[in-house]
Amino acid sequence: MDDDILTTLKILIIGESGVGKSSLLLRFTEDNFDPEQTLTIGVDFKTKRLSIDGNTVKLAIWDTAGQERFRTLTPSYYRDAQGAILVYDVSNYSTFTKLETWLNELETYSTKSNIVKMVVGNKIDMDNREVSREEGVHFARRHQTLFIEASAKTKDGVQGAFEELVQKIIQTPDLWESYAIGNNFQVGNKDHPAQQSCSGYCSLI
Amino acid sequence: MDDVLTETVPTDDLKRFEKVYHEQLYKNDVTPKAQFEYAWCLVRSKYPADIKKGIVLLQELYKSHDEGQRDYLYYLAIGNARIKEYSKALSYVRAFLSIEPGNQQVISLESTIKKKMDKEGLVGMAMAGGVVLAVGALVGLGMAVASKKS
Repeated sequence: MDDDILTTLKILIIGESGVGKSSLLLRFTEDNFDPEQTLTIGVDFKTKRLSIDGNTVKLAIWDTAGQERFRTLTPSYYRDAQGAILVYDVSNYSTFTKLETWLNELETYSTKSNIVKMVVGNKIDMDNREVSREEGVHFARRHQTLFIEASAKTKDGVQGAFEELVQKIIQTPDLWESYAIGNNFQVGNKDHPAQQSCSGYCSLI
Repeated sequence: MDDVLTETVPTDDLKRFEKVYHEQLYKNDVTPKAQFEYAWCLVRSKYPADIKKGIVLLQELYKSHDEGQRDYLYYLAIGNARIKEYSKALSYVRAFLSIEPGNQQVISLESTIKKKMDKEGLVGMAMAGGVVLAVGALVGLGMAVASKKS
């Protein structure tokens, strides 16, 4: 049954408490929204199949709690992740400021140096926006991450966030092809000519 | 692929939080935070003995520390499910859902546990079937030997 799956990818969702990490995941996996979404305990997990450019991948998504009390332990879930979604709330500036910390956290604990990062500005349905789109774009460009604005409530941008992230990972075969290629420099094999030096996500936006 | 019932804690983490806990224990001043962090690592261990120890620590916390009740219940459910104490695990799930009926995370944990039970139920039956066959074969062999001797 799993024969048609190209690979399984491990994706993390991180960011401050209350920015809507679990809501984005619920929208993506079950096309649902819970206005009374409760605080995640520790780390939650969901899977989802996604087809992109004719390739089907299975996503194993680890949704981390944003609350401070879990902060010391969540990094142990970072190992081997190929992609990370960093979420902030466009109606709460401090969650945007904290992104820097989350990026550092990722640098420190992720085991794959070329992990693909996607910054998501959530809650664009809210009237009281505090972070402009330009600021988000600027941040993402400066840190060489993907960027999208979204609303888990209205569905805007949610599917796109996951699709773009997965597309980038697929375009970075070092991240998911067999471990043989993983650690040594095999630049320029037949399918993927030597142009992976910036892992394929520098040129975005 | 790993899920919340199969992923395991990195040994380094377990050791790190174990050290903090033991240092505090030595001073007779264990904070709920240190105890919870250590217990969280223990219930994610691959060794049932660690998981059982984690469960004891979580039960202590559940009785003594009001603030983190929902966290303790959740990890008590996970710990028990990991050592195949499924009925206990489900009783913690139910206790949780009686307080927060709509909690998606716990509802999905419940279905993960039930799936695992189903899967193991089948495996259990297959094993029982295997045993019956083996016993039958032995009896058959015994009878064959007995009839040869006579």
